[in-house]
Amino acid sequence: MPIFEQGEVKINVDEDGFMEEPDQWNEKVALALASTEGVDNLTENHWKVVNYLREYYQKYGIAPMIRKLCKETGFSLKEIYDMFPSGPAKGACKVAGLAKPTGCV
Amino acid sequence: MSSKKVKVTDMSNNKGQLTELNPADFLPLPPPYDKLELEPKMKPLTPDQKQRYECDLDGIAAVMIPRPKSDEEKKILVDKFLSGLTKLFNKEDNWTFIQALLLTMEYCAKCQTCSTACPIFEESGGKEIYRPSYRADIMRRLYKKYIKPGGKVFTKLTGDDIDVNWEMIARLAELTYRCTLCRRCAQTCPIGADNGLVTHELRKIFSQEMGIAVKQLHEVGSVQHIQKGSSTGMTPLAFKDNVEFMEDEVKERTGMDFKWPIDKVGADVLLLHNAGEFLAWPENPEAFAIILEAAGISYTLSSDLLGYDGVNYGLWYDDVQLARVALKHIETAKKLGVRKIVLGECGHSHKALTVIADRILTGDYNIPRESSLTLLADIVKSGRLKLDKSRNEDIYVTLHDPCNVVRLMGIVKPQREILRAIAPKFREMTPHGVENYCCGGGSGFAIMPNTNFPDWRHSVAGRKKLRQVLDVFQDVIGPEHKKYVCAPCSNCKGQIRELFSAYGVFERCNILYGGLVELIVNAMTDIEKPFLEWDWH
Repeated sequence: MPIFEQGEVKINVDEDGFMEEPDQWNEKVALALASTEGVDNLTENHWKVVNYLREYYQKYGIAPMIRKLCKETGFSLKEIYDMFPSGPAKGACKVAGLAKPTGCV
Repeated sequence: MSSKKVKVTDMSNNKGQLTELNPADFLPLPPPYDKLELEPKMKPLTPDQKQRYECDLDGIAAVMIPRPKSDEEKKILVDKFLSGLTKLFNKEDNWTFIQALLLTMEYCAKCQTCSTACPIFEESGGKEIYRPSYRADIMRRLYKKYIKPGGKVFTKLTGDDIDVNWEMIARLAELTYRCTLCRRCAQTCPIGADNGLVTHELRKIFSQEMGIAVKQLHEVGSVQHIQKGSSTGMTPLAFKDNVEFMEDEVKERTGMDFKWPIDKVGADVLLLHNAGEFLAWPENPEAFAIILEAAGISYTLSSDLLGYDGVNYGLWYDDVQLARVALKHIETAKKLGVRKIVLGECGHSHKALTVIADRILTGDYNIPRESSLTLLADIVKSGRLKLDKSRNEDIYVTLHDPCNVVRLMGIVKPQREILRAIAPKFREMTPHGVENYCCGGGSGFAIMPNTNFPDWRHSVAGRKKLRQVLDVFQDVIGPEHKKYVCAPCSNCKGQIRELFSAYGVFERCNILYGGLVELIVNAMTDIEKPFLEWDWH
């Protein structure tokens, strides 16, 4: 299992850099993971997306529907792509410490 | 390392990668993709990945099999493989498929008709290892050597010997994931041999006997499906939350305000969607809800574990997992007391529940199963929906035939009757119907994201479908014309999305993809705004 290390952060990740143990997530981990996505700084808007994803994930154990993410945060899909260039699933979910999406999605 | 010289016996050598892949060898695509610079790059594995995973077939690690650390470990794996092979030819262990498998092992005229039917072999530029008969020949040699009496001596005399070592087995495991199980080869074989079945049976040895399976199909696929209720990880609670959201969306988009029936005991129909639709393409289940509501069909969805996810990944690699999931689906229907199960736009769930599981669904488990395509055709023809085909007039539409629904089950006409009623610019790909080509995402490929496998899936497995789509729209290929590939199958949609994204098809040619029900709703006159959103998704 690959290990991702940056500064104080040391976590187990999968081949695509998603966290293997989402419980280990904290804000420092988010910043470190963001840098792997070409996002150097997490703005207030980034945190709005990340926090919503985490909140939903903690309640339902899965990422929300992308349309729901847009509606609840007020960002368009394009704006989310602008913030997280790999998109909501591969980019934003990774930074928020969610597991990689599975199934026919 | 020229691919032309690769022989079956080379599978057992210890000389590293057997075949090199070079996009310049692949068949050239039609305009605007007739330039090599528009071909997506195929990433080589990193040195670290090469060291960790078996990839000596063609430099791709689809299954991500860890390299064994010792000769002892290799020996254990070889023994397990041979034990699994024996079980495939034992009636008690493999009563489902043994007859077709034995026929395929005994008969092959080596005419290569199968090879001319295989899109992967053809589009790869004729790479020997992808020839359907190459894989079958390996299996046939194994059968002759280890299953037939006196085989170990006899195969040496006839020249049919094959060395079974870990190198061969590891390459073979990867090779079983270079075939989409589309079964075009089986359809065309003049003597009825089924090389698609050979792939399927080999995958069973790896999963059922050796514990080697693709993580997305097994661990976070069928295992997660049984544990959490859906291969997406969606729990019943999340399912209900998603339905509430989709109800709101339908209201906003169409003005229709109604609750979706969930767990309605005594409804006529249990509608079983692929749960991936809710997350990735909610407009599809939304369109289903709109149509069934408007047509006054008595139906229900289920919020029981597995009752809201009709997928059955075991179909592709493991009979035990297939049976476990199929029984749960039937138990959901029994509990609700429905008259039949209707399968949403998901090809492999059609095949799993209507055809393959049929032999275990006897007695009171034999609840009728129907494709949504026939139900939808009945609704459209009944006149219960107010439809105006001119609402789809500005869109050139073509139809992709999902292999499991069309070639396997012979459902050809209903979807065409619907399209002729709602899409004035509908045109057929060549070939189509039961002679269709796979999208390139069949047998689980569409959900396998491992290492560099997606590159192979786009450039090789999906190449024929991309060619067909470009060909059918060649006279209107410019982005000024709206074009739509109607693909009534979640798995095919996933593959087409990734394929189009890799080649930039939406941006360059303005070709969108989606399901069938969305186009029907787009033609409904009661709904003011167009239902189709012409955005990439």
